[in-house]
Amino acid sequence: MGTEPIVKNRDFNDRQIKRIFLRRMGIVLWVSFFTAAVESMVFFALFDPAYLGQLSSLAVDITRWQGYALGFVFFWAFTFSAALFAGVVMALPRTRLAKRNPHS
Amino acid sequence: MTDQETKPIELSLYKAHEKIYPREIKGRFQYKRKLAVLVLLGLFYILPWISWEGQQAILFDLPHRRFHIFGLTLWPQDFIFLALMLIIAAFSLFFFTALAGRLWCGFACPQTVWTEVFIWMEQLTEGNRNKRMKLDKAPWSTEKVLRKTSKQFLWITFALWTGFTFVGFFTPIKELAAHVWSWQLGPWETFWLFFYSLATYGNAGFLREQVCLYMCPYARFQSAMFDKETLIISYDGQRGEPRMRGKKRREAEAPGDCIDCTLCVQVCPTGIDIRDGLQYECIGCAACIDACDEVMEKSGMPKGLIKYTTENALNGKPTHIIRPRTLVYFTILMLLVSSFGIALLSRSSIDMNVIHDRNSFYRVVNAQTIENVYTLKVMNKGKTTTGYKLSATGLEGLEVLLGMNETEIVAEPGQLVEVPIKIRAAKAVANKKIHTIEVTVTALDETGDAASETVKYFGYNK
Ligand code: SF4
Ligand code: SF4
Repeated sequence: MGTEPIVKNRDFNDRQIKRIFLRRMGIVLWVSFFTAAVESMVFFALFDPAYLGQLSSLAVDITRWQGYALGFVFFWAFTFSAALFAGVVMALPRTRLAKRNPHS
Repeated sequence: MTDQETKPIELSLYKAHEKIYPREIKGRFQYKRKLAVLVLLGLFYILPWISWEGQQAILFDLPHRRFHIFGLTLWPQDFIFLALMLIIAAFSLFFFTALAGRLWCGFACPQTVWTEVFIWMEQLTEGNRNKRMKLDKAPWSTEKVLRKTSKQFLWITFALWTGFTFVGFFTPIKELAAHVWSWQLGPWETFWLFFYSLATYGNAGFLREQVCLYMCPYARFQSAMFDKETLIISYDGQRGEPRMRGKKRREAEAPGDCIDCTLCVQVCPTGIDIRDGLQYECIGCAACIDACDEVMEKSGMPKGLIKYTTENALNGKPTHIIRPRTLVYFTILMLLVSSFGIALLSRSSIDMNVIHDRNSFYRVVNAQTIENVYTLKVMNKGKTTTGYKLSATGLEGLEVLLGMNETEIVAEPGQLVEVPIKIRAAKAVANKKIHTIEVTVTALDETGDAASETVKYFGYNK
């Protein structure tokens, strides 16, 4: 009985999958945004982006605001990939396991 | 299986969002909530306009990396204060949650506070709950367009003002106002202004309880601070059941006190039925208490069918305010607060650091004298440009000299100066392998602030 509705109500099933997907993406986005914001705050309380800009071998002149923004984007990219990874592995594989004992 | 049979599954898995139309209600708790909204938002909108010693009283000046808080200027070196403040905030939240449940959610959380204001505007333009529901179902008409646009107008104006004020905490608000007036906002100001306005509009206008249900981290872990003696909002099932209304009620022998008017459900901003028991969706706004009290009063029954109570009280057991959990939270909180106070009082306007030269232990100056070389870093955390003088103690006759090119140490507010220094001592005095001495930096201004550090002094020991 378990798989029946999935076959018979393809529409319903698709909608359900879409919802799960959207919800998961929502969580990934929100959680990564939130953690990136906190991380940037802590990081930039300790390090001055203008000073970091001088340190880097690129010797680009960045203003503090650009530094803050860049740092945030950087952190977000990091946290986003981590959260995305978590979101992907959270989905259990859909295939059914083989029967352990085919003769019973 | 038909589609109909599967419907309930769909609902229970991921139900599409249903709009909640909270009913307006008056009462003692709603009065307090309104007061909280007025005070908190009043502070938010007015604070940035207040000046203190010729400067904006509260200004988080990120471009210059300093925070002004009523005459106190904090630099990145004062990070510890910020960290302590956040930890104190967290522990007060724990403490109050253990005592009185989701007090924060119901009365102080920006999410709740701004949502309240947005709902007032909604009521002002679209009318009460019934009218709003009807209006949403009705086809578009001139009235509907008018009501909806005036609501949007109020919402958007208020959201923009909020965004403006928010940016005003980070950029001097008077300059910001001038920039807005002359359409000369910088890219960052523009971005943050609109970003925060949009966040306000979205969160308070549309997401509302969904923020609490799906996004808020506090809502997920607050129950960890709960125990059987925490104040919660609860329906007294023993008294209320069996609930019934109308004819059935009149004919029943012993109906419960709940007349099943569902008012407590209609006023609930998160759309739950408190009679089903404590639920994690309940933000503790106490609207249902006010609603139910009014009903009880009208029907001549004692108030408090829904009330602030504790699980123990509901089960007829005593409730203790002082108990291990609250004591522990309170002690930690007090320790934190007092260390914050002490740190703040003993905060010096000087930050210093002395590092011994790595290349040599000591240098021989002449037959009687040696010197040790250090790098001294001084940061001026005060508000004015200041000169500094140096001294050293710990050995008799220590003499501090500035490095080659420097003649004086002067730092602007927030500036970090780095100078080589030499400390001289007589061979006869500094005759052990290692001595400890103390280097002191004193400000040459009316504050006379000083800071010192202990360092090693390598002696002449053959
Ligand atoms: S649940 Fe979260 S967002 Fe909602 S009121 Fe409580 S703290 Fe605020
Ligand atoms: S159940 Fe009552 S206290 Fe809880 S959110 Fe709803 S109205 Fe507020």
